[in-house]
Amino acid sequence: MVEIYRSKYYSLHQALGERAFYLDFGQKTIRMSLCQLLSLRHKVMSISLESHFDGALNKHGVEVLLLCNKEHLFILNTLEIIDLKNMVEHAFVALGLSAEREVLAV
Amino acid sequence: MKDIARQSMSIKVESMDLLNAQIKMEAHASASYLAMASWCEQNGFFTSAKFFFKQSEEERGHMMKIFNFLVDTGGSPISPEVTNINHDYASIVDVFENTLEHEVKVTKSIHNIVRKSRELGDITTERFLDWFVMEQVEEENTIRDILDMIAITGTEGVGLQMIDNQVANWIE
Ligand SMILES: [Fe+2]
Ligand SMILES: [Fe+2]
Repeated sequence: MVEIYRSKYYSLHQALGERAFYLDFGQKTIRMSLCQLLSLRHKVMSISLESHFDGALNKHGVEVLLLCNKEHLFILNTLEIIDLKNMVEHAFVALGLSAEREVLAV
Repeated sequence: MKDIARQSMSIKVESMDLLNAQIKMEAHASASYLAMASWCEQNGFFTSAKFFFKQSEEERGHMMKIFNFLVDTGGSPISPEVTNINHDYASIVDVFENTLEHEVKVTKSIHNIVRKSRELGDITTERFLDWFVMEQVEEENTIRDILDMIAITGTEGVGLQMIDNQVANWIE
């Protein structure tokens, strides 16, 4: 198992023998294919953080995340979502599928 | 270490995001042209209606082309949500003017993805978009020709029906 990226609460690993990734959520580790990782990225990046700072839009400041074809359910708070967004961004750069931020900023 | 990810996906995720946005834009164009076809039918411009039915299908074809490219490159294509389709037009001229405006927007969006994929060093996506760049030249040109024809024909008297009849020249 090779660690790809570790953030404050989460870490992503790649299993060498299998074509799979393992995302450690702290209380649970889930196995994911790249497709499922892309789908997680889409869900996480679509979360609007602004709504967390607006009591009318997101009263409790939590997000429900359903992953891997509804196999796993996570309820995350604002700080966890920020950390997960950060983890996803860095993990894709580490995987070589995303350009470095500097390049994008041009 | 990077290999499993790279072996599964041959474009950059940033390109994928932009292409998913483009899928949405093409779907929106397809739905808008369908709304225009409906308007034309209801207002007696039957040839123009035919033209927009065909355009609507073409736009769906564009969308599927990008969708399949994302499938082929191991990306994750997202089926688009299409909202805010306008059904109100002041005249047949208004319909075609809106069409040109929309096509120019699409051209700009395609050019933007070409530029971004070039910055990313994503040659696959850049090359894939070649076809769209040239297609947009044709699409814009068609609508511009129709607007020229409208200007020459004029909208007085039987002008409007003459305009509708002549649109047939742009239905292959
Ligand atoms: Fe198109
Ligand atoms: Fe078009």
